[in-house]
Formats: sequence, C-alpha cells, structure tokens
Amino acid sequence: MKHLNELTITEARELLDSGDVSSVALTEACLGQIQSLDGALHAFLEVWLDEALEEAKRSDERRARGLRQGEFDGIPIAVKDNMLVQGRRCSAGSKILENYVGVNDATVIAKLKAQGAVFLGRTNMDEFAMGSSTENSAYGPTKHPRDPERVPGGSSGGSAVAVAANMCLAALGSDTGGSIRQPASLCGVVGFKPTYGRVSRSGLIAMASSLDQIGPLTKCVDDTARLFEAIQGKDPLDQTTADVEPFRSQDIRLSGRQDLKGVRVGLPRQAWGEGMTDDVRTRVTAAVGVLKSLGAEIVDVDLPYADEALAVYYVLMPCEVSANLARFDGMRYGLRDSGGTLLETYLRSRASGFGREVRRRVLLGTYALSHGYYDAYYRQAKRVQTLIQNAYAAAFEHVDTLVSPTSPSTAFRIGEKADDPLAMYLEDIFTVGVNVSGLPAVSVPVGDAAGFPVGMHLTGRAFDEATLLRVARAYEVAVGIKQVNK
Amino acid sequence: MPLTREDVSALAHLARIGLSDEELARAEKELEGVLGYVDRLQKVNTTGVEEAAPPAVAAASFREDAVIACDEVGRQTILSNFPARQDDLLKVPAIFEAPKR
Repeated sequence: MKHLNELTITEARELLDSGDVSSVALTEACLGQIQSLDGALHAFLEVWLDEALEEAKRSDERRARGLRQGEFDGIPIAVKDNMLVQGRRCSAGSKILENYVGVNDATVIAKLKAQGAVFLGRTNMDEFAMGSSTENSAYGPTKHPRDPERVPGGSSGGSAVAVAANMCLAALGSDTGGSIRQPASLCGVVGFKPTYGRVSRSGLIAMASSLDQIGPLTKCVDDTARLFEAIQGKDPLDQTTADVEPFRSQDIRLSGRQDLKGVRVGLPRQAWGEGMTDDVRTRVTAAVGVLKSLGAEIVDVDLPYADEALAVYYVLMPCEVSANLARFDGMRYGLRDSGGTLLETYLRSRASGFGREVRRRVLLGTYALSHGYYDAYYRQAKRVQTLIQNAYAAAFEHVDTLVSPTSPSTAFRIGEKADDPLAMYLEDIFTVGVNVSGLPAVSVPVGDAAGFPVGMHLTGRAFDEATLLRVARAYEVAVGIKQVNK
Repeated sequence: MPLTREDVSALAHLARIGLSDEELARAEKELEGVLGYVDRLQKVNTTGVEEAAPPAVAAASFREDAVIACDEVGRQTILSNFPARQDDLLKVPAIFEAPKR
C-alpha cells in the first residue's frame, strides 16, 4: 500500500470520490513529507501550511455535501515561485522580489482554484527561471532527491523535486528553453511543455515572452494530461492564447489502445550525434526499442538547422529578458536600494537585486539589441528561427513524433558547471528546439543510469498534444510506472 | 566582434546595473564566451529567408479596451508592495536636481 503522498492524481481522485480518503489526510501526508525532507532538499521557498489545511478542510466539507467543484477538488499541488497567487509572496527566486506579494491570481492558479485544488506552497527555482540546475536561486540551491551533492536540474528544480520526493501529488512549472523537461528528466518524473498558445501566462513572471509556457510536472502521463487539461484555454488576459479545440485527457485514457501501430517515430540525426553520455544513449535507445515493440515504425529523419536552435535561443531569449526585466527598477515594487540620485538608485537596486546569471543575460540582450548589432544578432536569429520552424514542419510531414534524450547527461554535481555558463547552457541542447519552434514536448523517465534517472524527450505537432501524450502513455504502460516513484 | 571593457561598462550603464570593476571584468569574459558561441549563426545562409513571424496565434484577437477594476484587497496589496510610501502615495526619488533658489 502506498503512502497517501505517493499517490498519483488519478489514484487520489478515485479515493477522494469514493470517500475512502479525505483531502485533509492527503494534504497532511504531503506536509509531513515536506517537513521530513525539505530541510535537506530545499524544494520549497515557502509552505502554506495553515492555508493548505484550511483549503483541504473546505474541500472535504464541500464534497461531503455532494458539491465537488472539479477534477482537482482536494488535490494538493505545488506551484513554482513565478506564478502569482493572490495575497501570497512570489519572488521568482530573486532578491529583487523578496517581499513582493501577488496582487491577483495567475490564470492557471485561478483555474485550479475554481476546481478546488489545494496549494501546498511555492517551489524553488533559478532566479527568473534562468538556469538549468536551480543553483541560481537567490535563496540557495535545491538538492537532488537521491544525492544532496547533485543538482535536480532547473529552472523548475523545486517543482521536480517536490514531485519526485512525493511532497505533493503534482506541480506546476514553466518552460522557456527546457525548464520543465530537463529537471523532470534529471529527477525521474514526467514533465510537459504544451504548445505555445495553449496555456495562459497571465500572472506568470515573464522571462522571454515569445517562448515561455506553463506546464505540469507529475508522477505519470495520465496526471500530466489531467493537469494540462485543467490549465489550458484561451484567456483574454494573454493575447497569445489560441482559440483551438480543447485537449481532453479522457481521449488518452479511454483510447483503449496501448499499441502504437501506424505511429511513426522519427530520430533526428542531428540530435543523436556525439553530444550525450553513453549511459544516456543506451537508456533512450532501449526506450525507443520499447516503442518499436509496441508497433511504432522507427525512422531516421533529417532536422536541418536543429543544431542552431541553442544559438538562436541565446540571442532571442536575452533580448526579451533585457526588455522584460526593465520593469524591475526599484520604483513601484520590489527592492529599492536608495542612492543619492534617481540614476544611482536604479544602478544600486538592479545590481543588488539581480544575481549574476540574470545580469549576464540582461547585458547580453542589451548588447544584441543595441545599434549596429541588432541586424547581426536579433534579425539573423529570427531568420534562422524560421529555418528551424520549417525543418520541424517538414519532419512532421513524415513522422508523428520526434524522439531524443531530454538531457545529454544525468544529474551533475552542485558547482560543476556554475562557473562555465556555456556548459550550463548546453544542458538545454535537446529541449530548446521546441521552444524556438513553439511545439509541445514531454520528458518521460526511461530508467536509471548509475543510479540517476534518464529521460526520453518526445516532440509533437502543434496543438496535437493528444498524439504526443498517447505515445508517452503507451511507453509508460508498457514498462510500468513503478520506476517513476522509486 | 570583440568586446572591450568600455563596451561592457556602457552596456551596464544602459541596462542600469551598477557593476564594480571586478564584476565588469568577469562579465566581459563571460559575454565573450557566449557571443563566441552564438556567432555560429553568422555562418548560416539566410538569404531570402523571412524573420520568424510571431507565433501563429499571436494577435489573433483583441479584447475590449475596458478598465478591469481591482478589488480593495488587490488595491491594498499594490500599496503594500510600494518600496516607499506616504499614505496611499508612492514615494520616488527626485527626477530633477533641486531647483536653484
């Protein structure tokens, strides 16, 4: 018998609906696990203990009267520290927002509140979601659940650890270049970035607005489908949200088909070159073998310009960062470090409020956008982005999903890449292409290498998350979900 | 396109980030590394290629240009987020030098 905090959303939903388990019991189990482990792991920046228990109690009372609010009524989840919850602190892992309190709910939070979800607390992250290890948090690093000497990945490292260590049933993260999928891979959980335009970013503290997307980190693909279904949808507060046919998680659950006959899986040559460890290659190749055994057809595909995606990302993203972070000037909210003059106050507030990685990216973006360099950097990157988008479109004429590893290696040691920005950036080499092209992608655990989890990265067609998650689910069912939790 | 210390100092000023000499030196080195990497894009032939359009869904619709009022809790939260305040007013440093008498 699993402990209550180890349940999936799907399992908990059944037990709540049958009355066998209360939301208070589920929430207490998660809070207990946080209390036992978070001193060592530091997944949470703040735990909303009293509020969570109150929400759980209200959920129990509601459901006792037959008034279930939605699929998430009574389900305890964790939230990355860059999504606003009204009246709660939200720092984006930065000193500059240390005491900032959310004025309204992010749309994803409002949607989950309307469905009765219980919010356990806010999870640690790289400052402003800039990083691949959660070492860039102004509040100290999050530790890998299997080895406190190692990183959990990032930037949604706190959310990944909270899920992997059963401190919650599921968590929300955000993904600009791999920030959901890479930590999910390193921690051995499922991490999903929906198609750009599926999920509203209203109330998400922006990093690079043309790339940012919110998504779930969960213990299994079914839970990812459920959480994605709950947070999707067109939103007047985010003009980039698309008016498309909603995703329905039951289409995946009830498809009845576990085989993958007729599904074409593409292996991009550009992704399967030198840039991964032997362990990772072996594990992901074995997982591709499972897809094949389920009836999928495996084909090599050419994805030209895919290896330029990281360079495109490291031009476009800093440009948007430099613009988006201009608002943190110490005037209306956030840290103000007063100097003699207004200029001095700006200089001091932003120097003492921003950490090294944030400053680096702001400077990089300022440079790439400055007179004389704009054409060479920004415009050229936007043109290469077109080439990359076209390459994905061409590949998806022949295949239904593209498969690669999620990360080139397993969890690395804290400090190992801290002084080499480029080495850290290369962590995103397999994940960043889908942000640049706007496509959906999921990382699913495919077992361990030398004791640390490896993830398989599946990319799908725009707004066809159903096919993508069906393939991921078929894999998971075929191998059993057990490896995810232990 | 090599960066000089003066370039980095000018960028930091433009970005309104006050950096010490030591931090400028480190930023120079780190920026050079990243720029060295992204310079690979210069080798890609993009003749006749359009810049990527905003994602297809962007700007597909407009909402009504109407004021969405915030509730009193929201208003109080906005006030409490002010770094400095006097009653309900936001206090900011003077923008101009003190006027001559």
